[in-house]
Amino acid sequence: MSTVDWKNYEPVLIPDIKDLNKIDVYIKQGGYKAFESVLKDKNKWSGPKSVVNEVKEANIRGRGGAGFNAGLKWSFMPPVDGGPRYLACNGDESEPGTFKDRKIFEYNPHVFIEGALIAAYAMEITTIYVYIRGEYRAYIQMMEKAISDSYEKGFIGKNILGTDFSVDFYVHSGAGAYICGEETSMLESLEGKRGYPRVKPPFPAQKGLWGRPTTINNIETLAHVPAVINRGAVWFKNIGAENHPGPILYGISGHVNKPGVYELPTGVPVLDLIYDVAGGMRNGKKLKAVIPGGSSTPVLRADQLDGITMDSDSLRTVGSMLGTAGMVVMDEDTDMVDVLWRIAHFYHHESCGQCTPCREGTGWLEKILLKIKNGEGEVRDLDLLLDITTQMEGRTICALADAAAWPVRFTINRFRDEFEARCKKSVYALA
Amino acid sequence: MAYEFTKEDLKQIEEIKSRYPAVMPATLPVLWVAQNRFGHVNPDVQKLVAETLGLPQAHVHGVAEFYTQYYKEEKGKHVLDVCTCLSCQLCGGYDILHYLEEKLGIKKGETTQDGMFTLNEVECLGACGYAPMLQVTNDQYVNHLTKEKVDKLVDSLKNGEKPQYEKIGMPQHENI
Amino acid sequence: MPEVIIDGKSYTYEGQYKLLQFIQDLGKEVPFFCYHPSMSIPANCRQCMVKVGQYIIDRESGEHQLDEKGERVIRWFPKLQTACNIDVADGMVVHTQETDELVRRAQKDNLELILINHPLDCPICDQAGECPLQIQTYKYGPEGSRFEVKKVHKPKRIQLGPRVVLDAERCINCTRCTRFTEEISKTHQLTITRRGDKNYPTTAPGLEFDDPYSLNTVDICPVGALTSADFRFKARVWEMNQTPGIDITNGKGCNIDLWTRDNLVLRITPRFNKDVNGHWMPDKGREAYRLFNENRISRPLQILDSEQILSSWNNAIATFNEQVEEANKKEILVIGSAHASVEENYSLARFSNLLGLNQPVFVPHIIEGTGDGFLITDDQAPNTNGCRLLGFTELDQKSIKKAVKKASLVILLSDHLLDRGVLSPGDLDGKFLITFATNHSDTTKRADLVIPITTAAEHAASYVNVDGRIQRTIRAKETKYTNRRLDLEMSEGRLDRYGTNFDNWVTEENKIDCVPVWSFISQAAGAQDLDLVLNEGREIMDEIASVLEPFEGVSYHLMDEQSGIRLHLDTKEKTKT
Repeated sequence: MSTVDWKNYEPVLIPDIKDLNKIDVYIKQGGYKAFESVLKDKNKWSGPKSVVNEVKEANIRGRGGAGFNAGLKWSFMPPVDGGPRYLACNGDESEPGTFKDRKIFEYNPHVFIEGALIAAYAMEITTIYVYIRGEYRAYIQMMEKAISDSYEKGFIGKNILGTDFSVDFYVHSGAGAYICGEETSMLESLEGKRGYPRVKPPFPAQKGLWGRPTTINNIETLAHVPAVINRGAVWFKNIGAENHPGPILYGISGHVNKPGVYELPTGVPVLDLIYDVAGGMRNGKKLKAVIPGGSSTPVLRADQLDGITMDSDSLRTVGSMLGTAGMVVMDEDTDMVDVLWRIAHFYHHESCGQCTPCREGTGWLEKILLKIKNGEGEVRDLDLLLDITTQMEGRTICALADAAAWPVRFTINRFRDEFEARCKKSVYALA
Repeated sequence: MAYEFTKEDLKQIEEIKSRYPAVMPATLPVLWVAQNRFGHVNPDVQKLVAETLGLPQAHVHGVAEFYTQYYKEEKGKHVLDVCTCLSCQLCGGYDILHYLEEKLGIKKGETTQDGMFTLNEVECLGACGYAPMLQVTNDQYVNHLTKEKVDKLVDSLKNGEKPQYEKIGMPQHENI
Repeated sequence: MPEVIIDGKSYTYEGQYKLLQFIQDLGKEVPFFCYHPSMSIPANCRQCMVKVGQYIIDRESGEHQLDEKGERVIRWFPKLQTACNIDVADGMVVHTQETDELVRRAQKDNLELILINHPLDCPICDQAGECPLQIQTYKYGPEGSRFEVKKVHKPKRIQLGPRVVLDAERCINCTRCTRFTEEISKTHQLTITRRGDKNYPTTAPGLEFDDPYSLNTVDICPVGALTSADFRFKARVWEMNQTPGIDITNGKGCNIDLWTRDNLVLRITPRFNKDVNGHWMPDKGREAYRLFNENRISRPLQILDSEQILSSWNNAIATFNEQVEEANKKEILVIGSAHASVEENYSLARFSNLLGLNQPVFVPHIIEGTGDGFLITDDQAPNTNGCRLLGFTELDQKSIKKAVKKASLVILLSDHLLDRGVLSPGDLDGKFLITFATNHSDTTKRADLVIPITTAAEHAASYVNVDGRIQRTIRAKETKYTNRRLDLEMSEGRLDRYGTNFDNWVTEENKIDCVPVWSFISQAAGAQDLDLVLNEGREIMDEIASVLEPFEGVSYHLMDEQSGIRLHLDTKEKTKT
């Protein structure tokens, strides 16, 4: 496998241009051309389906964590029946370690808006909602401004650019619930309810918002669309990892010198990201572990990282996933028991409480881990923890139970010694 | 205390309702309108929201209770939400939390006697690269916290100054 | 026909089914908590996990794909599925806990998780004995618990409303109760509050759960989280016996079960009838249990020297006959009752017919605007249509007052006309009032002779509801003159079977000294040498069916078999209320 040439990569999603968040600057840089092209360039685009096909061909794998081909998802929308159809853009961004979409809201909101508009055209959607987590008040305001500017310029609204395509675009603020990043839970939240994930089937493409066909895409996923339209699917596919192509926003946090969000191709070696891109380990410490793509993706030991790149295929070989590409880097002083307890605490706090295994299991995991963290655990508790993860995984409506179970299983398996050292000797062993 | 929306609030609520094909979707945004107006959404405010929208009170109550950002009771003038989740934990989030506990003389979840500060420990706020950090009253993020920065923040809040938006660019760029 | 294979057996089917319901309809079992056939399917309890696959059909040949052994190849779903929300499909292969170790393990795992925060207080819980959680745990649950950390604590003994008490720690968050107020009663009074393992159902702060159907949530709660404020701690379910009956508090005729212990009705719960009340009934109907126990008239009453005193049955029969014989036949007014059964009204009509008295009249008890279009009707009586079909003349207040004025002797069947303001005491001045009644009231207090009669809990009799459906009751409670060991139709609970008069859980007091209307009338007629023998409801109904056209073909057997029979109501009659 050839290595990805990331050193010469020029960012396209968030290029280094001042004031690009202003619509005039964005337009001057060629913004909204892709949208105009799909609406008007009949030579290039034979209609909405051709746009779907191009995006499908590009294989933009969902950047929210699940990694599903966005164009393929678009193609699941049923034929138009005259009723409303919705696009729900997922800006809930709450998985610990993930802080990338806010960069789009802040520095290039219009590329996302344009992507969403193209998606709306391609799926013949009538209303777009962008769901942004409530904590992002600053970004909600930025997005509201950007959308209103775009309305003013005639890119949103009735008969856009003189065509018969019309679409509305609204911001919907969350209010503090990680689960609303789960797509069907987000729909419930948009409908004004408690964020309980829905049972599937029916899938949102059949019955989404208010029972109507709905597609849900991550913000970054949609933001990639204008470039795919402008430069073509082939251009996109040639960037980064073969089966997981394109530019991607890496969020790097933890014990590195230069944490932050970086736009690079997919498939950058994990160690390059840490040592070259993010400036290496803080205080010259040794690397101990990496969580590659948000807290739910299985942690990797430093010794597992040689030659591993940031794409789903490569990460799978060592038993992890790309997730949201929100990488958390941990140095040699990190207490893995504390880290795992904190992750378990998070999922316990965020379980919606609908399904039994998740509602009860997340709390049980956290309580046992707290016991171990406090030095009151026994080695048998570790096996109990592993057993509970099998009782949770794959047994619930949404993936939160899996997301809570995986870190427990993999962190214990990969750092078992450290956990055992924290356990007190079993009373039976002492006897 | 009787709570009432102002005329502007009601106008805003009408505008919010127009974004959706039904009334129920307005529940979350209108709870926000109410919280911005009254500082909390206690049961009386929840009732006001339900009555204004013509929705069952139980529904509004259930929604308000589900989402952590809605204050179900009156809080201090400034709510300090300190993130201690994963990246913040790694970078000293708990030190900041404990420092604030000591400084304000309260435990997390409590409000100072003078009603000035409420201190909370919260889950990931999506600022992992800028840890440790906190959010002030559901609004501005204060990043890269140190004890000195916390001291300054507390002082300025006491002086009635609002924290400003902290722009943090992308390390690979020069212009942003 | 499409085929589904469950635990190795093939079943053909037509139409659309959810797998769990399909399995239940076959008389088989998969454990579950949140599913309810009348409500939406949230699939949140995750208990009904089964393994589901599909035979692979070769695209080209359209034939089943076969393996080397010639067996049909199955493509299994990668995860276990909840049976409640999956549609039965042609060629579907299902393994339940009966044949699959993985399924058994998953169901056991889930029960362990449900139970970790459950208080396990069955010994003091009202639900014990009829608790799905308790039953499923015995059948499918783990032997013990590995939960050694602290349980979540939640509010207990919360009076959610006047009739329902919440113990949030017992709640397993199945959301049946909240779905009930959203989808069935539509009062939207309940919601789940908080999040995660702190979740529990509640009302909005300051509001009461006073839904007129609130007690249905107690019935469908699969644990003891919601209990009836009234029934709480009154009896263990296994001490009671359960007898099917009909709600007599309004015109709908909800199908019910009467729960008795030592001849007291302790509670009433709805009994499923898809054509009448589904799984539900109004709270008001449940309170009727008091009518069967309290304030009952036991032994006849007679006014002697302007004081009402207990009399004897011989005296009562003698007085009844004296009055009927002495009065001018034209001045005798016989009033039937929509509150009494078809058989009771018919018996009275036979008697008055035989004596050449008027065909009984009756005064419907309808209060406009009190119905809700669901299970609560404007009609306050269970048998208005029964009286109509018997050909009784309907009188309004004005005409009944006029009729009473002309009469010297009024024979009134089970209708508290004074209490409900149809008659005023003055209307009855100088009249001799004989009333057949079950409970004391202002009307019975005024009566010169009160004949205590059986209630719907003590006789088998039929009632025709607002939609013209005739349904019948079964004796649930003994009187002084019935005996459940001799009466094969009566149910017998453990305490009934093993109790003697010398046990402290058996009392004679709860048996009321009363008889069915027809027994009294037969005896009175016998004393007059009239040829009128009315033995019991079943025979009377056979007689009615043979002489009255609207009841043609009706029998207890058919009513039992079909859960009631829809009669043809004369539309002209029906609209005249």
